Amino acid sequence: MMQAMSLLALAFGTAAAYALSRIFLGYPRISSRPAALSRPELAVVAAAAETLFPPGGAIAVSGREAGIPSYVDRYVAAVPPRLRRLMRMLFFLVEHATVFFPAPGGLRGGGMRRFSSLSPEQRVAALAGWERSSLFPRRLVFTSLRAILTMGYMASPAVLRALGLAPREIATPVCEADLLYPRIGALPSSIALRVTDLTRPRDGTPLGPVGPLRADYAEEVRP
Amino acid sequence: MRPPGEVRVFAQYGEDVHEQADVVVVGSGPGGALVAKELAEAGKEVVLLEEGPPVTPQDYAWDGARSMTRTLREGGLRATRGYVMPTMQAICLGGGSLVNSAICVRAPEFALERWCTQFELPHTSLGHLNTHYEAVEKFLGIAPTPENVQGARNLLFKRGCDALGYSSEPIPRNVRGCRGSGECFTGCRSRAKQSMDISYVPAALRAGARVLTSVQIQQVISEGPKVRAVVGRVVAPFTGRPSYRVEVRAKLIVLSAGCMATPVLLQRSGNLANSSGQVGENLQFHPGVAIQGVFPERTDPQFGATQGYQSLHFLREGFKLETLWAPPGVLAVRTPGFGLDLKRRLAEIPCSATWDAISSCHFSLGTVRARRSGLDPALLWHLDERDVPILQRALWVLAEIFFAAGARKILPGVHGVAEEIHSLSEAEPLRAERLRPKDLVCGGNHVFSTARMHGDPRRGVVDEYGKCHDLENLWIADTSVFPQSPSVNPMLTCMALAHRTAHAIAERV
Repeated sequence: MMQAMSLLALAFGTAAAYALSRIFLGYPRISSRPAALSRPELAVVAAAAETLFPPGGAIAVSGREAGIPSYVDRYVAAVPPRLRRLMRMLFFLVEHATVFFPAPGGLRGGGMRRFSSLSPEQRVAALAGWERSSLFPRRLVFTSLRAILTMGYMASPAVLRALGLAPREIATPVCEADLLYPRIGALPSSIALRVTDLTRPRDGTPLGPVGPLRADYAEEVRP
Repeated sequence: MRPPGEVRVFAQYGEDVHEQADVVVVGSGPGGALVAKELAEAGKEVVLLEEGPPVTPQDYAWDGARSMTRTLREGGLRATRGYVMPTMQAICLGGGSLVNSAICVRAPEFALERWCTQFELPHTSLGHLNTHYEAVEKFLGIAPTPENVQGARNLLFKRGCDALGYSSEPIPRNVRGCRGSGECFTGCRSRAKQSMDISYVPAALRAGARVLTSVQIQQVISEGPKVRAVVGRVVAPFTGRPSYRVEVRAKLIVLSAGCMATPVLLQRSGNLANSSGQVGENLQFHPGVAIQGVFPERTDPQFGATQGYQSLHFLREGFKLETLWAPPGVLAVRTPGFGLDLKRRLAEIPCSATWDAISSCHFSLGTVRARRSGLDPALLWHLDERDVPILQRALWVLAEIFFAAGARKILPGVHGVAEEIHSLSEAEPLRAERLRPKDLVCGGNHVFSTARMHGDPRRGVVDEYGKCHDLENLWIADTSVFPQSPSVNPMLTCMALAHRTAHAIAERV
């Protein structure tokens, strides 16, 4: 009896260890220290970025080339803790939902592995299942993930230049408020502008797709 | 006139803050900034408090997500529960005026008449508010958007409306010298938008007001029928980390913290001013739906006034139509699909226009509640089935206008309807299908009514001048006092009511 119980406990422990290893182990190493996300979280964001924005097509830049994982990492670091937890839950859910909603292939074909370990075709099938689900919560998971990653993709200077949407330089007039408020974190004594620097309001000359791009979106800036 | 006042910023605080004033105003958005200026000019000693920092053009972030984490509460990721809908509240000097699209439209006469009759507010008709509207319009230089900065995406809307016989007009906005940069939502680099931080707040300072930024008020202190002080903490920009204690004693307190924070502040202050039970109730939005249309030619939608054209044709049916532009990353989150399909659709943005509809949705109500800690509210709200046909009708009209304007396809963004529609006949499901609330993707624009005005103290929190029924010297001046939707964008009506509130205070106190 004792031996049977021990065997059962061993089997249970092995299964639990296997399950945990499938959740927490085997993620690729990363070269630089992320601001907020863990290795597994970065892996799922990278996998989702490549699935949502694969190489080629109407915009040559891929999700990975657009720097989506590092963008999302910075974004998560910048939001308040409660929202940060929700975003991390979202990534966890995406990564492990394929256990409950398996991608094509099932257990034998690898369809029940975590999202970042699926083949590209299986990832596409998994995302398609969420997008077209009749269950609102599943659709919500997908639209939330796509929203976060799309913001990252469309923040890439390379993508914006390719679309002709990168911002232009604008000469900012000096108004009364510029003599009152320092930059965030600075003291008022840092305000270098004086009354003599005030400029007249612009005449409303419309802007258009001419003139230099803003420096941080110009060609030499790497995404 | 007092000598000019001063602004204090986060880097200047080195110890606990104790101030005294005739009037303390909590919140520097359109309601609070205006009240501070008017009362300072009336000779009152005024302290204006703002939780966020002043944001200068050097601090603006053009990228949508980065801008949201800097200027909006909860990183711009606030959403309602019940029916999940994103909504926003600013945290910066000037409040929402820094990051809105400057739309200043008077509430229509029929909406204000409804307020008067349904909420026992005999002095709140358009006739009574006209002088207050005029004062704000004059100060901010509000005028219809000129044609030379409309850009193609706005003028196509006019073309579509003209073809169908629907009325449309350039949107009146609080701008001076707009160049059509389309950057209203991330801060106007052209310094054209007359947001509160560059208009009413400097005027308040000139009249002697003191402005304390990075101060989070956590409680209103009361004694019997009077309030006597507000207390809170200095908080760091962006992180909100609290440090020094702040107490401002005043003879009179005006709450202008916004429709989602004012009720939380009252709830956190011992359920203050709530004998009616209406504090935090009646939460209403203008839920918005939008359609992206793709045209055969380039529209260069990033140029032109952010929201330059509107149609008030359907106001009595319960919705208003507008043109729209936003940072590309924000606008693109509604683009359907993924993979190469998604990239193809994103590549069509330079040939597209996005137009939206905001709806009054009188049946859809919710609540604002304080959370266990902090000032971020718990929002519970449901999109009522009875309001869905209004939004559905608005989507259909938008589809009509797009195809009348020459669009080659539209992306309606409605679950259960084709992702791309190439003709009005293909759009028929938008009219014929019975859509459910969760088929729609709505944005929670404009928030009202969580401390509503009502002539009957048993049914409202404030009277029609903004004074709390329960307390002698507590007033509210933000959109929480709206008894219900004004049918159009609320900023100008909020400011007109705040103007009346300020003058009522100056006369009575």
